[in-house]
Amino acid sequence: MSWVDRVRALLGDDAVDVAATPDGVPRVAPGSPDAVALLLGTAREEGWRVRVEGAGTWLPVDAPADLALTTRRLDKVPAIEPQDLSATAEAGIACDLLRQQLADRGTWLALDPPGLAGRTLGSVVATATAGPLRHGFGPVRDHLLGVTFVTGDGRLVQSGGRVMKNVAGYDLTKLAAGGFGAFGVIVLVHLRLRALPRADQTLVLEGSREDLAQVAEDIAAAAVQPAAHELMSPALARRERWLLAVRFAGSAALVSAEEGALRAATGGRFTALRADEAHALWMRAAESFATRPVTFRVGALPDSSDELMDLLQHQVGDEWISASPGIGAIRWGGETTVDRLRRLRRTLAGLEVPLTLERAPWPVRAAVGHFGAYREGVGPLVAGLRRTFDPGEAFVVAVEGTE
Amino acid sequence: MTERGGFEGLDSCVHCGFCLQACPTFLATGDESDSPRGRIELMRALETGELAPADPGVALHLDRCLGCRGCEPVCPSGVSYGRGLEAARALLTERRGVPPLVRAALGALTGADVSRFVYAVARLLRASGLPRRLAAWNRLGFAMGMLAATAPKVGGGRRRSVEVGRGAPHSNLHHPAPSSTTSPVLLFRGCVMEGLFSHVHDATIRTLQVNGYEIREVPAQVCCGALHAHAGLRDEARRLAQTNVAAFGDDDTPIVVNSAGCGAMLKEYGHLVDTPAKGRAFAARVRDVSELLAERGPRPGAPLDMTVAYDPPCHLLHAQRIAEPPERMLRAIPVMRVISMPDAAQCCGSAGLFTLVEPAMSRAVLAPKLASLAEARPQVVATGNPGCLMQLGAGLAAAGVPATVRHPVELLDESYRGAGYYA
Amino acid sequence: MTAGTATAERGGSLAAALGEIVGARHVRTALPERVTFARDGLPTHRHVPGVVVLPGSRDEVVAVVRLLAALGVPFVPRGAGTGLSGGALADDDAVLIVLTRLNRILAIDPVNRIAVVEPGVVNVRLSAAAAPHGLYYSPDPSSQTACTIGGNVAENAGGPHCLKYGVTATHVLGLEVVLADGQVVELGSPGGEPWGPDLVGLFVGSEGNFGIATRIRVRLLPVPRAIRTLLADFSALRTAGEAVSAVIASGIVPAALEMMDQSCINAVEDSVYAAGYPRDAAAVLLVELDGCREEAVAADADTIAGILRAHGARGVLSAADAKQRERLWQGRKKAFGAMGRLSRDLVVQDAVVPRSTLPDVLEAIGRIATAYGLTVSNVFHAGDGNLHPNISFDGRVPGLKARVDQASGEIMAVCIAAGGTITGEHGIGLDKLRYMPLIFDGDALAAMRAVRLVFDPLERVNPGKVVPIHACREWSGVRTHPGREPGDPRAGARGELSELAR
Repeated sequence: MSWVDRVRALLGDDAVDVAATPDGVPRVAPGSPDAVALLLGTAREEGWRVRVEGAGTWLPVDAPADLALTTRRLDKVPAIEPQDLSATAEAGIACDLLRQQLADRGTWLALDPPGLAGRTLGSVVATATAGPLRHGFGPVRDHLLGVTFVTGDGRLVQSGGRVMKNVAGYDLTKLAAGGFGAFGVIVLVHLRLRALPRADQTLVLEGSREDLAQVAEDIAAAAVQPAAHELMSPALARRERWLLAVRFAGSAALVSAEEGALRAATGGRFTALRADEAHALWMRAAESFATRPVTFRVGALPDSSDELMDLLQHQVGDEWISASPGIGAIRWGGETTVDRLRRLRRTLAGLEVPLTLERAPWPVRAAVGHFGAYREGVGPLVAGLRRTFDPGEAFVVAVEGTE
Repeated sequence: MTERGGFEGLDSCVHCGFCLQACPTFLATGDESDSPRGRIELMRALETGELAPADPGVALHLDRCLGCRGCEPVCPSGVSYGRGLEAARALLTERRGVPPLVRAALGALTGADVSRFVYAVARLLRASGLPRRLAAWNRLGFAMGMLAATAPKVGGGRRRSVEVGRGAPHSNLHHPAPSSTTSPVLLFRGCVMEGLFSHVHDATIRTLQVNGYEIREVPAQVCCGALHAHAGLRDEARRLAQTNVAAFGDDDTPIVVNSAGCGAMLKEYGHLVDTPAKGRAFAARVRDVSELLAERGPRPGAPLDMTVAYDPPCHLLHAQRIAEPPERMLRAIPVMRVISMPDAAQCCGSAGLFTLVEPAMSRAVLAPKLASLAEARPQVVATGNPGCLMQLGAGLAAAGVPATVRHPVELLDESYRGAGYYA
Repeated sequence: MTAGTATAERGGSLAAALGEIVGARHVRTALPERVTFARDGLPTHRHVPGVVVLPGSRDEVVAVVRLLAALGVPFVPRGAGTGLSGGALADDDAVLIVLTRLNRILAIDPVNRIAVVEPGVVNVRLSAAAAPHGLYYSPDPSSQTACTIGGNVAENAGGPHCLKYGVTATHVLGLEVVLADGQVVELGSPGGEPWGPDLVGLFVGSEGNFGIATRIRVRLLPVPRAIRTLLADFSALRTAGEAVSAVIASGIVPAALEMMDQSCINAVEDSVYAAGYPRDAAAVLLVELDGCREEAVAADADTIAGILRAHGARGVLSAADAKQRERLWQGRKKAFGAMGRLSRDLVVQDAVVPRSTLPDVLEAIGRIATAYGLTVSNVFHAGDGNLHPNISFDGRVPGLKARVDQASGEIMAVCIAAGGTITGEHGIGLDKLRYMPLIFDGDALAAMRAVRLVFDPLERVNPGKVVPIHACREWSGVRTHPGREPGDPRAGARGELSELAR
């Protein structure tokens, strides 16, 4: 019996699509978390190499593998609880669909990840790609109450839960968030929500990068507390010059007070955007990153943001950049080479700044790795964790690269 | 005395640990055995017999307790730590007796005949100015520093400026008190206060008179017994207490004390003497000098241009829960700047005989306080307890911090003198 | 040779070796001294450690851990011992490493709003040190005047203000960690971005099983410029619970939203921390709103006060000044300690339920208390649904402890049935081991154990805590973990300690 027949026998005829992927790798779309477990258990026995896909809009679906496992049929949202401000969603749900369902119940997931609107929730969690809202609402992990994932040998592992606080056992959710799928396939996510903001206002200021960096400092010094506070390159913002975009979200009283404080701190130089303009700005910026072949993020101390932008400009160019100067996070997009990425990562490592490769074609990912080299003593821990969760090395993930 | 001798006060401890950071010895060592919660564990084990009083590990950590009771006011469950400690120390003393150094110190400081001689020699030595020059960190140097700290700072210094005699009110005032009525109070003189701080007694008498009190002496009084009780000598403490209860009579005339340690002890007599009702009645009459003064304002004096750090004695702040009155007293002095030290509520490490018998721990507890005083640079450190005055004085001298130590009532006295109330 | 003498002998030579590292006076072997470390903040568990050692620096911690690794001796890290799950207790065959002497604040960086501290720094002291820069450390467990940040990291401590600002894990950016074998590893990066998988996030809340954090890099927040503290009192527990859901659903995120029931109110009002809570209320809610904009906070506070009244509050008091606010909070924070006023023994639970189920769950707890004839006091983080039912009892009454345990179990079952979990901030430790299989299946438990083995292959660090080993399903990682080949000299070292220490 061919493996395709085995999988069909296990998961049903409609779970396998033999000719769907560009590179001809057969694609399997399990319809439930248990089916994912069943498939990976079999993969472990058979020694199959598996690549995991979401909607296929973020990470290129090009890793060499025996089969592609897509979560796109795991698209149910079993629970949205406006009274509790929590939700449970399967990992394959598209972010835009989830957002709509949440909004219908008056709730909001305060994450605005880069990429296309149809990106899956699982992909956002696995790559921990937070967008500008990370300034006010924190990284992806801060929005997770729990995660269920399937290990490389087909075990369904639940961690966390659907309540607001949970310290029962070790926090494996943290491994799943930003693990790039090295420890398992995320199948179910429990989310911490917020009430849909009553008011949501974006204001922008155009200028030179240096000028705007100064303005950003003034804003921080005035203790203005925006939801997002993003410095965008001209290409990204589709403007002539760099753009500093500040977004406030919350109660009407809060937003108007913060807006007043912003204007006071910056001499009224900002322009308020209409809701549709704001929506377009943020969405286009997010989508732009999905159109570049390579994106990576660096995380540094806030006061070194400016210096790092200079470094990026010098080594890989600064055409597509989105930075949260208040928290020292920078996302870069563009075209570059393996050598440049390696050199940049080495330079940054010398400054104690990690570079996480978010997306790139397989040859680049394989060579550079999502994480590259770790700090001393961390490598064996990560290797041990990978052996624990993927003993047969079923998952094709370029974690460290080949340097 | 209760059936369980004071151990019952520990029952409400639920081990929350909120006392740890209020304990000077825990702060010095970081060791649970030197914390109130750890010591409660030891005391409970002593009571049940799980640990023996002869066990040196028990004695070491109970001996190292300052008895400052800084843990009591922070305890949400109201554990009576101090009472439990005395019960435990009584067990220890029963088993091992009193260490020779403690016995010698008790005799020298509180013994009726010996102490008179000791204090006389000490005053002669103090007058020579030698102790001031010899003040240092080593044992002898620190003792010299302590003695130097007892010296009166301005004026005064007369051995006994006023007449003694029950029922004979002092009347060396030319200006009558502002208040129309004068109330009689009885002065508790104590042993160390009487031997080395008679100038503070004088100041007490004068400032109280300005505020409408009439001070009467009680000749038959004896040492309060605090040092004995802390050393586990419950019986000796009880005998002293009973003598005092008899000496002060059974009317309701307030008894004024200017030593926080004595005041705390006198207020505990209800738990100590054979007839608790009498002890309680006595205790109810005991008032710190600051309480009496604060009740009458006190009357403002003349400006003093100086910076003062007030350091509340543990036995005033924690044991008697008197926080506000001394500050009111100091506020009656115009111009004077009273700075608040962040660690003011911490013990200075004096703790009665503690500074003599546990010098290392005592200095470790004192160190952080000296460091912050060295930074704040007040001209005067004010505190209302003889042990604290001596400990802080010796520490400041040894550390080369140019500040003098004064009892708060001395400052008020100086201010009143400047105002001409005594002219 | 009896077990007791073996311990004593080992203690002797081991103590000498430890004394070489930290100085003899920082090693405790006498029984009375070890007895004082036999409990943490939850007095129902009592384990006397074999040896207690108090290192004074990171290097001493490393040397101690290396010595113990070489000898194969298990050890337990401990901070101030205010934990509420029996997590910082060591048995007679283990060494307790007490970290209270590592209490230096190493750096405060006001520009980047970051502090670096040693694990023994007491929580409130960091905020005090940051205050001159207008900053503070946000996680505020009720024991914050005593507990250490190292302990907070181990337990992923919460506190009232986690509702808005997040638990400890949200605020820890990086860690320097000493692993079981004495290796020192830096986790995370200076700015807080994970360097590789999020091992900082994994380490926080691992209850000391993954090693000892010797340096902790945390985020500081600007001190809020505007604060409103509301005290709402209710004549029924149920309406108070309903009011909580209404506040949450309003979209305004309070900084804190706490509930206390009548029994708890009275214990506090009898204590030195009396806060002026109405004694006749069935429950009070303490709601705090904060932010940087006075007008916004004031408006939000008015909205919340209106919601509270609409949901049955008899009265809503707003703290008039900082002093009154402090009093209202002190009462809440010292409530646990005040439980000693009700009875000499205490069992405290730490369940979390979905907030919308609070009214039903509170009623169910009340029914269980009545059925067992026990006093249950509730004081908890209502905004997070994090319940702390305290059962007060006198352990000297025969059979009562068993009844208390049974009632605890039933309360836990109610919370789990409501979709909740068994601990929100106190940790599993020893106390909640028995509940772990109720919320995790064999695979999840086995996965946790396998992760632990990556950090601590011989399970020597804080042994016997967190994961009930008997309930773990078999896991490939457990059988073939790295660094422990057959014939590894460390294998089987435990149990022959007196031999090795000679």
